[in-house]
Amino acid sequence: MRKLLLLLLAALAPAPAVAADQVALDNSVFVERVSTDANGKERILLEEPTVVVPGDKLVFVLAYRNAGAQPADKFVITNPMPAAVRFADAGNGPVVSVDGGKQWGTLDTLTIASADGTRRAAQPADVTHIRWAFQKPIPVGGSGKLMFRGVVK
Amino acid sequence: MTSKLTYLGAISLAAVAMAAATPAYAAGTTAGTSITNTATVDYQVGGVAQTQQQATNTFTVDRKINLTVAETGNATTTVVPGQTNAVTTFSLTNTSNEVLDFALVASQLATGGTPAHGGTDAFDVTNVRIYRDATTGTVGSWDAADTLVTYIDELAADASVTLFIVADVPGGAGAPTNGQISGVTLRATAREGGLAGTQGAAITETTGANTAGKDTVFADTAGVAGDAARDGSHSDNDDYTVQTATLAVTKTSRVISDPFNITTNPKLIPGAVVEYCIQVANTGGAAATSVVINDPVPGQLTFSTGTILLNGTVTAGTCNADGAAGGSYVAPNVSGTIATIAAGATRTLVFRATVN
Repeated sequence: MRKLLLLLLAALAPAPAVAADQVALDNSVFVERVSTDANGKERILLEEPTVVVPGDKLVFVLAYRNAGAQPADKFVITNPMPAAVRFADAGNGPVVSVDGGKQWGTLDTLTIASADGTRRAAQPADVTHIRWAFQKPIPVGGSGKLMFRGVVK
Repeated sequence: MTSKLTYLGAISLAAVAMAAATPAYAAGTTAGTSITNTATVDYQVGGVAQTQQQATNTFTVDRKINLTVAETGNATTTVVPGQTNAVTTFSLTNTSNEVLDFALVASQLATGGTPAHGGTDAFDVTNVRIYRDATTGTVGSWDAADTLVTYIDELAADASVTLFIVADVPGGAGAPTNGQISGVTLRATAREGGLAGTQGAAITETTGANTAGKDTVFADTAGVAGDAARDGSHSDNDDYTVQTATLAVTKTSRVISDPFNITTNPKLIPGAVVEYCIQVANTGGAAATSVVINDPVPGQLTFSTGTILLNGTVTAGTCNADGAAGGSYVAPNVSGTIATIAAGATRTLVFRATVN
């Protein structure tokens, strides 16, 4: 099945200007809507979060740019999950935490303590924080986008 | 822009696969809640930690109006003609993300329509009322503690109430017959909550451009015929089925003996003994009780005292002339009462008389 993707241009406005030798970060969120057209093709539309109700799927987009004059090293972006959003997916890039930011790792390496003392494998709904830690410096003028998905509780 | 599209498209496939696993959220986050996402960047330049950068994004959760009316028990309510306060049971669940009032309407299914449990609507019940199940008394059953209502006040998100449609079944001349069905519909419509003790104003869906604040989205599914999806209301059908006794009486006679042939091919001559059998067949759906049989003995016959047999049986339509002694004779009437004739059963009253 072929998927088409549409974006609302207005939502992708450039990051606000920041002072020199700083890193610019822009945080935007979209609501993902799937509609089926007359030919039965599914279209995924990313809309601005104007009408948002529980159960809606959200796509958070973090855009970064090294607006400074020197490379940015040990570049780490941390994003706590909003309380009313359940984490769904972030691809393979980031590490996550399921205990409020104490321990980090990929989701399959983390566990959650149950009331009876046993531990179970962490689930996407357990994620409290997401973190992207870059191995290489961000060169001057270097930019990129990071994204993760959630669902409105 | 093209590169962004490609990038975003790359994880969209994963999202579709994920959708199936997404659990259903009933009420969820309360309408009007602001969701703020904050991301921070820590970095170093030339080995020196720099000031942390932060970016936030905030949006408001809108109001999703959703409700479910469902008939409870998935079975018809069996009634008899003339029955008062016949009860059907429904549940109303507020799956909106806000406290709401719900206006209630109970209506009759049109004659000829298809009721909830099959068949055809053939009559209307009368005096249709709606009661809300109280937490006192018998919970889940209609009783004196329950309240007559026209709306449900301040139903919390994800909360559910049990409702009863209570109606009377016509009796007398216009009474429905065995097997006839009357369908009823309960429809609930979301109304503004927030003010206890009064029914809130009607709710309209936010049309046109979204506002920064809390908008309203109808998310209900279609109910019974005529109740569309996304109209802020939901409905379900239930029905009453009449189960009553339908009695048919047949009377047969045979000659038992005459004074000359005795019991061999007896003839109906003066002095002959005739046995009468009154069969009462119940072809209805319910047992008939206290069935009183009265039969005047013709003037040409003399009743034979002590020959009445009550509650006898038949075999393939032929009287078995069995049963228990009983009944009474007050000239010219033979009478007897059969306590119960079950649905589908036939019982008899048998007596003998002599030709004058």
